[in-house]
Amino acid sequence: MAEKVMHLMRRGAITCAEDTTIQEVAQIMVVNSIRYCVVINGRNEVQGIISARSILKAYGRNLNATRAKDILLPYTVTITPSSSLNEAVELMSKKRIEHLIVVSDRPGSKAILGLLHAEDIVNRMAMA
Amino acid sequence: MVRICDIMHKGVIFCYPDDHIRDVARMMIENQFRSVVVVHESGEVWGLISMIDIIRFHGMNLENIIAEDVMRPYQISVDPQWPLEKAVEIMKRRKIEHLIIIDPHAGPKRPIGILTSFDIVRFMSRIETGQYQQMLKMPREESEDPRR
Repeated sequence: MAEKVMHLMRRGAITCAEDTTIQEVAQIMVVNSIRYCVVINGRNEVQGIISARSILKAYGRNLNATRAKDILLPYTVTITPSSSLNEAVELMSKKRIEHLIVVSDRPGSKAILGLLHAEDIVNRMAMA
Repeated sequence: MVRICDIMHKGVIFCYPDDHIRDVARMMIENQFRSVVVVHESGEVWGLISMIDIIRFHGMNLENIIAEDVMRPYQISVDPQWPLEKAVEIMKRRKIEHLIIIDPHAGPKRPIGILTSFDIVRFMSRIETGQYQQMLKMPREESEDPRR
């Protein structure tokens, strides 16, 4: 049976609010040793993702005045738990991103279920 | 002024071009690296392998794939004495996460360190190394106060 995203994804994600300062976002990432932070609004809907690379956009600016919503990557590249792993890998290498947001495949649902990490795929390949 | 050498990782994790990709992947997972520098026997930098480069081979038979097939050639020369702004500029322009730092005094293309986007995030967060424990404890102490 072909492997699906649901077999390898990590449930849950570390999030921050839209108006969190970039200084705080950086602290959240460093303390939790993660390379992304999902940005959500007041109604828990996903707005976008901040990666280590997108924080560089704020380098040199006042980190306490810049907010998460100013630099986030809009929430566009997503995958559902029932998609095949091959599809996810293709999306990751095309867009050159290491984390994919996994969302529910129910229509109209904007809830985030978790994230798929490139390192888990590499782990699976190395141990196979 | 902050220089690249102030916040980079000293030393590089490397493999040779004819190493099997499965061994490289294992090395990455076991040691929690996200990139490996491919170094020629002469000690010169040839390329860089990141996680994204490895997952392209997902679903294929990995037996006959070697590091040389997977790596992306690395042409950028970054000097450890440059200001950090210059490194940020290169990362943004080329959309890359890792820079190999090359020491001009050690000879052509000799890698001496690596700078990742996460190192810059750590620098921007202004948490000193060794203070993570304190940062983690802060909310817990606040929640314990009312009970006392």
